[in-house]
Amino acid sequence: MKDADDLSGTDAVDPTAPVDAVDAVDADGAAPRVQSDTALVARAALATVAPEPGASKPDPILVASGIRRSFGGIVAVDVDKFEVQRGSITALIGPNGAGKTTFFNLMTGFDKPNTGVWSFDGVAMNGVAPHRMAKRGMVRTFQLTKSLTKLPVIENMKLGATDQKGEKWWNGLFPGLWKAQEAEIEARADELLRRFKLDHMREEYAGALSGGQRKLLEMARALMTDPTLVMLDEPMAGVNPALKQSLNHHVRGLRDLGMTVLFVEHDMDMVHDISDWVIVMAEGQVIAEGTPDDISSNPAVIDAYLGAHQGRTLLEDQA
Amino acid sequence: MMQLVVGTFQHLAGRRRAGQTLVQLVVAVFVALVALAGVAAPASAEGESIRVQVKDQQRDANGKANNQPVAGVSVTVLDGSGAEIGTGVTDDKGAVLIEVPGRADYVVRIDEGTLPDGQALSAESPAEQQVSADSFVTAIRTVNFFIGASQSESTSTTERIAQRFADGIRLGLIIAMCSVGLSLIFGTTGLTNFAHGELVTFGAMIAYFLNDRGVHVLLAAPLAVIAGGMLGYSFDRYGFARFRKRGIGLISQMVITLGLSIMLKNLYLWRFGGRDKPFLNYTNQVGTQIGPITITLRDLTVTILAAIVLVVVALTLQYTRLGKATRAVSDNVDLASSTGIDSSKVIRIIWVSGAALAALGGVFRGLDESVSWDMGTSLLFLMFAGITLGGLGSAFGALVGGFVVGVLVETSTLLGVPTELKAAPALVILILILLVRPQGILGRAQRVG
Amino acid sequence: MDIGGVLENTILQFIGFNACYYAIAAIGLNVQFGFTGLLNFGQAAFMAAGAYGVGQTVTIFGISLWWGVGIGIAYAVFLGLLMGMPTLRLRADYLAIVTIASAEIVRLVVRSVKFRDQFGGTDGLSGFASAYQGVGVDLGLQPAGEYGFWIFTFSGRNLWNLLVGWSLVAIFGLIVWRLMKSPWGRVLKAIREDEDAVRSLGKNVYSYKMQALVLGGVIGSFAGMMLALGNANVQPDNFSRDLTFFVLTGLVIGGVAKVTGSIVGPMLFWAIYAFLDSLLRELVDKPVRIGDFTLIQSTDIGSVVFMVMGLLLILLMVYRPQGLFGNKKEMAFEGR
Repeated sequence: MKDADDLSGTDAVDPTAPVDAVDAVDADGAAPRVQSDTALVARAALATVAPEPGASKPDPILVASGIRRSFGGIVAVDVDKFEVQRGSITALIGPNGAGKTTFFNLMTGFDKPNTGVWSFDGVAMNGVAPHRMAKRGMVRTFQLTKSLTKLPVIENMKLGATDQKGEKWWNGLFPGLWKAQEAEIEARADELLRRFKLDHMREEYAGALSGGQRKLLEMARALMTDPTLVMLDEPMAGVNPALKQSLNHHVRGLRDLGMTVLFVEHDMDMVHDISDWVIVMAEGQVIAEGTPDDISSNPAVIDAYLGAHQGRTLLEDQA
Repeated sequence: MMQLVVGTFQHLAGRRRAGQTLVQLVVAVFVALVALAGVAAPASAEGESIRVQVKDQQRDANGKANNQPVAGVSVTVLDGSGAEIGTGVTDDKGAVLIEVPGRADYVVRIDEGTLPDGQALSAESPAEQQVSADSFVTAIRTVNFFIGASQSESTSTTERIAQRFADGIRLGLIIAMCSVGLSLIFGTTGLTNFAHGELVTFGAMIAYFLNDRGVHVLLAAPLAVIAGGMLGYSFDRYGFARFRKRGIGLISQMVITLGLSIMLKNLYLWRFGGRDKPFLNYTNQVGTQIGPITITLRDLTVTILAAIVLVVVALTLQYTRLGKATRAVSDNVDLASSTGIDSSKVIRIIWVSGAALAALGGVFRGLDESVSWDMGTSLLFLMFAGITLGGLGSAFGALVGGFVVGVLVETSTLLGVPTELKAAPALVILILILLVRPQGILGRAQRVG
Repeated sequence: MDIGGVLENTILQFIGFNACYYAIAAIGLNVQFGFTGLLNFGQAAFMAAGAYGVGQTVTIFGISLWWGVGIGIAYAVFLGLLMGMPTLRLRADYLAIVTIASAEIVRLVVRSVKFRDQFGGTDGLSGFASAYQGVGVDLGLQPAGEYGFWIFTFSGRNLWNLLVGWSLVAIFGLIVWRLMKSPWGRVLKAIREDEDAVRSLGKNVYSYKMQALVLGGVIGSFAGMMLALGNANVQPDNFSRDLTFFVLTGLVIGGVAKVTGSIVGPMLFWAIYAFLDSLLRELVDKPVRIGDFTLIQSTDIGSVVFMVMGLLLILLMVYRPQGLFGNKKEMAFEGR
């Protein structure tokens, strides 16, 4: 049984090697991965769920119903029921234009639905501003990475911490009031940077990082908020294949630490590899749900993708 | 000297192309300088004089005035200490010119005994009027005396309202005309052009320069419009298109427009001077009655012409290929490009026509209220209110919003807003619209924070 | 030609009263524009708020001068809230438009005949600064006395103004510098670059932007107060349309997002202005003509120099947007 805290993968890993080299080692598949405790728990819970669109989950952390969003006559999202099981890694997939990103924006508060209600951790979220959602434990990343390039990596990380006394302007002038907390935050940040193998870039401006490193930084920074639900918007977009395994490690690691993960993706490899549950959208509606195996044999899903580029990543599409 | 400047710039910029840009920019500025050079008109050899006009209001039963000249009235001009400077008698046109030794304080007095039998000065026209030294706009200062019934007795509320509306319509049309370019530049490039007011003033400046040299304003106006278009072309070709290509961000570009505004304003101040100067044609017209309002032929023509121009602009935007392309690019640059529209060409055209329209607006404004170095700057803030009301980025929005702001500003005096503060309601509109419907009347709702 | 005189003017303006109150205004503007990316193009309105706040105390309200500081701050906070509330949730451009409009309205109101009783109209307010000047006298600086050495000889009154003014510059500079190094400052810098990223991390972006706007405005109001006290009067013409832009130019010269830049920049601005102005006055003692056409005469010098300053701003933004002390890596304006 794999130790939940061991995020370096079952393969031997040289901790001092740069991230890309590490992934190249196990990309070609060494010993098959052993499932972690949390993965087994999640899959056991989901085993009781019928693979139907809008199926209820035994312990949902995110529940949405009747969500509609239209833009000038075009209905982008029309979702009757949507639930995410706590402690699982859930993938939201669908062909281009299915409304996944719009739905994502709606759930994270970056857009307002025309109708519908949803709740996070039992608390109603309608009309709640995006920053409040983050305070409640829901954090999101962006498809076009938003690492703050004009700030050093370590400052990017420290920014992520919540409830910082030093962030109130009346305290700002008196370092004595926040220096201790800042030191704690910095220690946590360094720990995360080590985990994501970015600690050697600590003082660099985030703008100096490679694209893949910025993705990792954004994910690490999101973890500083100590979230319960992590929403990743196309985490594999534009990532070179060597880095994908590393990202997969980290996403699994999130679940292993007790967080729930919901991600939007086009990359079917990732979806098959790590998700406990898959929800499929097409033309704004949820057309199928189930385990990765259920989905790959689901005729409705295959239909939806027919003509679209099944199984290929967004990057390959654009080539 | 030019070589030195150019060489220095080339060296500083490190690249020949940048050096070329600067050469062109400097040449353009130099040309503009020389062009505006003569606007500081050589002072006339004549000395100062006061023109006294006596008019008979001849109000009819409804109280409408129909000013007629009054001849044979004796007039005296005194200086500050009460000493007599000169006298005269009004001629057939009801006017008399009395020379004065310079720009100073004077008193102009009517000899009431010489008024036509049975006539008296009207209630708001005293027998003596003060003339202060700084009220000499040109070498000739005009003073009017009215005989007949008092104006305030005979102007009904309807007339006042109608008058304000007429003024508001005229101002609104001018603002609309000036701000189309501003809104489209924003829509297509995302740039808020803080120097747009100076494009308005530019039109008036060029027209004045030509007018002063003897070109009738009817010919000077189209020439000024062409000059304005050329200036707009240069701004884009040698300025903003290159900045966009260089990756200079929008905020930096905005600051650049601020710099341009300062530069141009002071250029105008230098070459034109600080005083308001009217065009030489169509001045001193007497108003005619049209329905409830009194309006000069000049103002009426300006209003009608402005309306025609705006209708043409609206039709062009709506029905021509260029107009549709413009609206498409203004709506969504990438989407428009992907349908085969050459966005940079459309942007160039927008700069040219926007500046040309602004120049025309400047000429109209100059006819309306005389030319001054900061006339565009005063309008800029009203233009912003207008395009925000109408919707930033929408050409029709600029037309509608500008018009509404103009009417509102002029009619606000009816609600008790003092004339000196009549621009304040525009700010109120601005704030209200941003609170209630930030995308404006015709704009698209954008996701806001 | 008196080159010595030109240089003397340059140096004196470099450290002079104008540079000093411009620096205070620039420190405030830097908090808004440099650190947070807020387009406040109406800093002049905040300066007027402070200036009229102190000006009104003695002559209009009949209270002690020192209340004016509180009143000026209150006016500034009110203005900041008024301008920020409709705009801070929208595109940056809207704040720019509203601030320019507000500065214009403030200017029109304080010089209006209608509000003469409150603001003194075109004549402005005077006769309120004696308590302030009295402190200087009590500290030993006789208003008419001469202090200093060589070209740095000032009357007691001027020296007092300089001492107070530059002390304020130091105080506000220190405050802002400390604040920007704190987590609060970090949030602002992040907002400047990408608001959505900051929102996704649980921070109330609107609230932070408002704080920056108001803080920068309050500092700006102190610049106005200094102006009023130093001149011992407040005039609407002090707050011309271009005042904000010249403060901005000073800030850009020095380097946005750097406290040193916001102090040294305005000093350089005035030095350059004084240099050009004095130089031109030396060169153009008689009107320069080309045939019948007057190229330049002494009354034109003011506008010509401002014209050059406008050109300077353009060239700076194109070729050296980070100014003197700015950090190119931190320039968050590219691509916005």
